[in-house]
Amino acid sequence: MSAIHLGVEGVTRRFGGLTAVNDVSFALGEGDVLSLIGPNGAGKTTLFNILTGQLAPSAGKVVFDGTDITGHRPNQRAWLGLGRTFQISQTLTSLTVLENAMIGTFLRHPRIADAADWAYAALERVGLASRAREEASHLTLGERRRLEVARALGLEPRLLLLDEVMAGLNQTEVTRIVDLVLALNADGQTIIVIEHNLKVVRIFSKRVLVLDRGKMIADGGADSVLQDPVVVEAYVGKKKQ
Amino acid sequence: MSNLDLAQSGHMHAGASTKRRATDDIWTVSKELPIFIGVVAAIALAIYLLSGQFFYLNLLTMALLFGGLAVSWNIIGGFGGQFSIAHSVFFAIGAYTAGNLYKHFDISPWISILPAMVLSAAVAAVVSWPVFRLRGPFFAIATMALTEVAIAFAMHWKTVTGGASGLTIPYRAGLENMIFTQRWAYAALFLGYLAATLVVSIVILRSRLGYYLQAVRDNDKAAEASGIPIMRTKLKGMAISAALTGVGGVFFMMYVRIVEPAGLLSLFDVGVKIALIALIGGIGTIYGPLLGALILVPLDYWLRAFIGSAIPGGNLIVLGIILILGSLYMKKGVFGALKQGYAAWRPKR
Amino acid sequence: MGFHTDIAMDQFFNVVALGLLLGGTYALVSVGLNLIFGVIRIVNFSQGEFLMLGMYGAYLGYTTMGLDPYAGAFIVVPALTVLGMIIYWLVMRPLQNEPMMQVFASFGLLLLIQNIVLAITGGVGMSMNTPFSQITLTIAGIQFSATRLIILLASMVAAGALGLYLAKTTFGQAIRAVAQDRKAAQLMGINVERTFMWSFGIGTGLAGLAGVLLTPIYTLSPQIGGNFVMAAFAVVVLGGLGSVLGAFVGGFIVGLTEAFAGYYIDPELKHAVIFIVFIAVLLIRPSGLFGQAGAEEVGLREQS
Repeated sequence: MSAIHLGVEGVTRRFGGLTAVNDVSFALGEGDVLSLIGPNGAGKTTLFNILTGQLAPSAGKVVFDGTDITGHRPNQRAWLGLGRTFQISQTLTSLTVLENAMIGTFLRHPRIADAADWAYAALERVGLASRAREEASHLTLGERRRLEVARALGLEPRLLLLDEVMAGLNQTEVTRIVDLVLALNADGQTIIVIEHNLKVVRIFSKRVLVLDRGKMIADGGADSVLQDPVVVEAYVGKKKQ
Repeated sequence: MSNLDLAQSGHMHAGASTKRRATDDIWTVSKELPIFIGVVAAIALAIYLLSGQFFYLNLLTMALLFGGLAVSWNIIGGFGGQFSIAHSVFFAIGAYTAGNLYKHFDISPWISILPAMVLSAAVAAVVSWPVFRLRGPFFAIATMALTEVAIAFAMHWKTVTGGASGLTIPYRAGLENMIFTQRWAYAALFLGYLAATLVVSIVILRSRLGYYLQAVRDNDKAAEASGIPIMRTKLKGMAISAALTGVGGVFFMMYVRIVEPAGLLSLFDVGVKIALIALIGGIGTIYGPLLGALILVPLDYWLRAFIGSAIPGGNLIVLGIILILGSLYMKKGVFGALKQGYAAWRPKR
Repeated sequence: MGFHTDIAMDQFFNVVALGLLLGGTYALVSVGLNLIFGVIRIVNFSQGEFLMLGMYGAYLGYTTMGLDPYAGAFIVVPALTVLGMIIYWLVMRPLQNEPMMQVFASFGLLLLIQNIVLAITGGVGMSMNTPFSQITLTIAGIQFSATRLIILLASMVAAGALGLYLAKTTFGQAIRAVAQDRKAAQLMGINVERTFMWSFGIGTGLAGLAGVLLTPIYTLSPQIGGNFVMAAFAVVVLGGLGSVLGAFVGGFIVGLTEAFAGYYIDPELKHAVIFIVFIAVLLIRPSGLFGQAGAEEVGLREQS
């Protein structure tokens, strides 16, 4: 039984009258891959933002490797080993591909030559090493997503959060990223993914957590959760893949 | 690019070749050095050629001063994207520090450089800490407000600044006093200042701080998620930028030997002008601000002399038009436009 | 003892009166600026210049057609509204997503407008006396000049009218919709660009109105806009981005602060005091008194 890596306890977030995240609790061990799914507006990205520090919860706490990080700023969490990508790709457009990756590696390697080396390694893992010198703004969407993963990898994260990293991509790009995620997990990386594509979810998650209107309605193995009538009902009327 | 092909073919497995290749693909300080030396040498040559012509020499000297000020501003304004109009305050701090220490305590301005830097950096850190959480124009407005406060205090604090009548320092020529009989010596002095600011600018841009500043500028959400401490980064950039600007003030004080609050702190003649120079030359590049100064300082003078005399305010009308057209069509400045032209002209890979 | 208190009280009320009148002026100038800020999210550093143009426009009407400035307002204000709309369309619209360039461009406009007027008038200060300038009213033992009272009234009417307009008319509600969420507004069929154009025009028109009303009080000079624009920004921040009520109340707070600082502290430092207050507000409650929280942090960059 691996030690509890990430503990989410009673996390709630309200925006005025709207409760976006409602008393969500779960625990994650090292090496797990967890998929966070749910219909649009269920609160998945809000939950991510609470985990990584862009938002503070209205109630509850987040514990990472034994440290209560509820009040920590995002950069402090990155330091502790939490890396993430964003739903809308946040590439640094005035920099090159390599420099984008370096923004991640600088955290652990302050010297510019070291940061560059490690950035190269991160780019190699995501398959972008050949584009290192190019302007990041020239990349396609799929490539930008992978670049963002490379930047997050540069932090040498103990936990990686991927927010809809496959949204809007074509089949080839999706396959590429799926392979990447599988490879990362095979290397021992703990990952939480927000994903809409249920086929993909089946491929790489042993565990699935379902949010609907802020509440957690299921948490278990992929097969059982995806067949759970409560979950299916939450998705009725929404896209099913 | 042949460089990349070489790297790719040699790359198959990690090792010493990886290290060499990684730094091949980014600019480093050592690569920048030849360009820097070339630029400084060219200007030195210009000083030598102009050494007898006081008018042009003075113009060049002022251009070098503003070049240095703009390069300093660029560290936080261009790299960091924090559009400060308050840099005239640090300029003034430098001037008043040097002036007072020299006049009342006979301290050489060379020594005053240190307290000028420290004081400017300290003031910068204190005032920008509350203001940095503001975005774009709000930040600019806050810096304008700070300048107004500074002007009011400068007018009021007569023991230090001499109030509206200004601070005058006695003329005692000598290297230790930074007061020279030959005019070309001042030009050389300001070239030294410019060179110093360029060196700092180059070192920062090719360092972690430089990358962090740019990341914060481009996308602070992504930057923070990548572990960058936003406030600390901005403060560092601001402190360095302010310190360098203060040094410019020290040199200026010894050049003109009389300063008064309206001239030092003037929003348009100093604060906005520095930012404008950087904009026209090319924000966020190393030599852009210098280019901007070499264009704008003589242009400003020429406009004042030829148009301003015929039509009151005519020079500012032209400047206003340049500002409007520049912001509409030349966002990357002259330097940026040149770079784009060069990239388009060069044969593709 | 009682004698001194009487004088002190007299002075106090005089200062309050001055503060209220100043406040009315600031409120009028700022309501327009706030509209531009809050709706289009554009910094208009040239706002003060429209005030100046309002003054000169009124003066022109007076000298050429013998129009009392209050009557001339009916020509000058619409003219400046149209001018504002043209300027928005040509200069500001292309710079929607570039806050730093907006700053530069509006500075450029400031320089341009100010110095064109300087060139035309040759820098001679001019002043106007109108039938109203001589009238003073005494209320509760304090003297008010009629012209300043009119400004106070005008600012209340203008703010009230604008508030009603935004709340009750279709176009006013369209403006508010665009201010809240321009993409949603666009999806609802609102022509966002036209809304921006009108908002900018109304904003500059209000500044022009302030200028017209100030002509009997201040001496005309091309630089007069600068005096007001800085305080107007302080007002907008204090009152809160996007809130008409905020700009109105903020104007009075700033006006009163300036009056008190000028009298009780030091006339030279009164502007400094305003800006210290301004910075204090930014520290304590950056969204201002009535503004939406976080507006100043979101700033003017469009979020995806």
